[in-house]
Amino acid sequence: MIRLIDVVKKYEVNQNESVIALDNINLEIKKGEVVVLRGSSGSGKSTILSLVAALSKPTSGEVVVADERISKLPDSFASDFRRNTIGFVFQKYNLIPTLSVEENIILPLVPINLDAKEIKAKLERVLGMFHIAHKAKQLVKNLSGGEQQRVAIARANINNPQIILADEPTANLDSKLSLSFVEIVGELKAEGKTIVIATHDPLFFGLDVVDREIEISQGKIL
Amino acid sequence: MRSRINFYIVEYAINSLLRQKYKTVFVALVLTLLIFLLSSIFFITSSIKYELHATVEALPEITVQKIKAGRHDEIDVALMDAILELHGVESAVARVWGYYYFENAGVNFTLMGIDEYEEQYKKSFVDAATKLDFTGTSMLVGEGVKRVMDANYYKEYFNFIKPDGSLKRVDIGGVFKAQTELESNDIILMSKEGVREIFDIKQSKATDIVVRVANFNEVATIASKIKLLYPDTRVITKDDLKISYQNIFDYKSGIFLALFTTALFAFFIIIYDRASGLSSEQKREIGILKAIGWRVDDVLREKFYEGFIVSLFAYLVGISLALAFVYIFHAPLLREIFSGYSQLKTSFALPFVLDVQTLALLFFLTVPLYIAAIIIPSWRSATLEADEVIR
Repeated sequence: MIRLIDVVKKYEVNQNESVIALDNINLEIKKGEVVVLRGSSGSGKSTILSLVAALSKPTSGEVVVADERISKLPDSFASDFRRNTIGFVFQKYNLIPTLSVEENIILPLVPINLDAKEIKAKLERVLGMFHIAHKAKQLVKNLSGGEQQRVAIARANINNPQIILADEPTANLDSKLSLSFVEIVGELKAEGKTIVIATHDPLFFGLDVVDREIEISQGKIL
Repeated sequence: MRSRINFYIVEYAINSLLRQKYKTVFVALVLTLLIFLLSSIFFITSSIKYELHATVEALPEITVQKIKAGRHDEIDVALMDAILELHGVESAVARVWGYYYFENAGVNFTLMGIDEYEEQYKKSFVDAATKLDFTGTSMLVGEGVKRVMDANYYKEYFNFIKPDGSLKRVDIGGVFKAQTELESNDIILMSKEGVREIFDIKQSKATDIVVRVANFNEVATIASKIKLLYPDTRVITKDDLKISYQNIFDYKSGIFLALFTTALFAFFIIIYDRASGLSSEQKREIGILKAIGWRVDDVLREKFYEGFIVSLFAYLVGISLALAFVYIFHAPLLREIFSGYSQLKTSFALPFVLDVQTLALLFFLTVPLYIAAIIIPSWRSATLEADEVIR
């Protein structure tokens, strides 16, 4: 489902200086697998998610997701790929605070100009799935951290993608809400989705729902 | 079948504008004001140009004035016969006219005398001649004159004060309307006898002589012949008058140009401000949209709608306000720059001239520029890697 082949990612600091975020990474994640990328801040785990979601391109190497070589995709195709294949739950949720819950959730559908009925059906599915139907009309900025995370997960699932990527999903949650997120992961796994979680939260280590843990340090898989 | 216009993006653009309502309202107001100012200037100059053109076109080809001691004096009517003898002259008419100062209102009226059986040297006088009672006790007045007279309770007649201090009562027989407001507004048409009596001009004298020439190319030759025949006259051709009018117009339009430049400068400052960059919040929003699957062209389309809605609104409201300001309220303040002599003349209304080219020029000067100023910085943000923007 996801393959990283000899991937190197460098970030330019200035003209003469660059930082190696990923150093010759090789990784394969199978369909339906739940994988936790663990490591300290700056280890490179978020960069892996970013490459898998086609949010950035590797400096060298190949990223293949759902049989598509996304590391070579032009920008517009990368956008289509993200919309159709990936659901990304960002660390800071990346919601638009001045929009309502439902407006945030349907944002990925806006460019594809679906029928209103189709949009409604998709919206109701995720509102129900993540228990936020009662908050649908509220502005996101007025929600608690846990509720905002649910909105972010609902938005990531609105297109029913095959792959869910979550970057430090529990970084802003208390332990109760973190457990609630683990439950959601279980539900998504039951639906057959491939899930990759980048985290340094010990809560995810040794969990039944997690199939594999991969330790990342200084841009390398240990 | 789905609509080709993605109304969800339009809706998102409208919501985006409403989310920043204070900023949107401020920008829309400033743009509207600038478009209003620019279009008002354009409308006034177009109207005055039209008025000027029509006035000049209505002028006779040659006007002959007697000059005495360097000043315009009464001319002998007998000269007209000699001028008519010149080859190429189609007609010559001795005009009797002058300015009558109405002290109560502080305005000048232009009294023009016409004769029933004489060839009228202006098209607009032909129709007037059929309506006018030539007994010398009736007159046709321009609309501006009528307004002034009504305001001073001269609703049916007017008492002219003659040079000897006696009064001459003349009835108002109707309202005179010529092709242009400037031409007809302050005019009073009556029989030549009436004008002679009011200004005390003898039968053998006239104010000037106007000459029509059959072949336009011969105007200069005939003018020089008249000057040779009568060295104590000033011979003015239509071209001379055109230049003189144009000079006045150019001087006045210089002031308008200054206003225009100021408005345009302010507009470009706004454009520069908008084009120079986005706030971190706006950049982040674009990054989020890209991260969840919007293409660069989806983002740009949304930004296009935002710019289009604001600038089209400002354009339509600005133009409508300018039309109302210029043609309904007669452009208070701005018009005075052009009609600076109006203290001594009755006020006139600007003729309605809707110049499609002007409207198109204003549209292309404002709407696409504003949209470009919105799109360019958004394009810069949208083409960055989404990861870079939202990190």
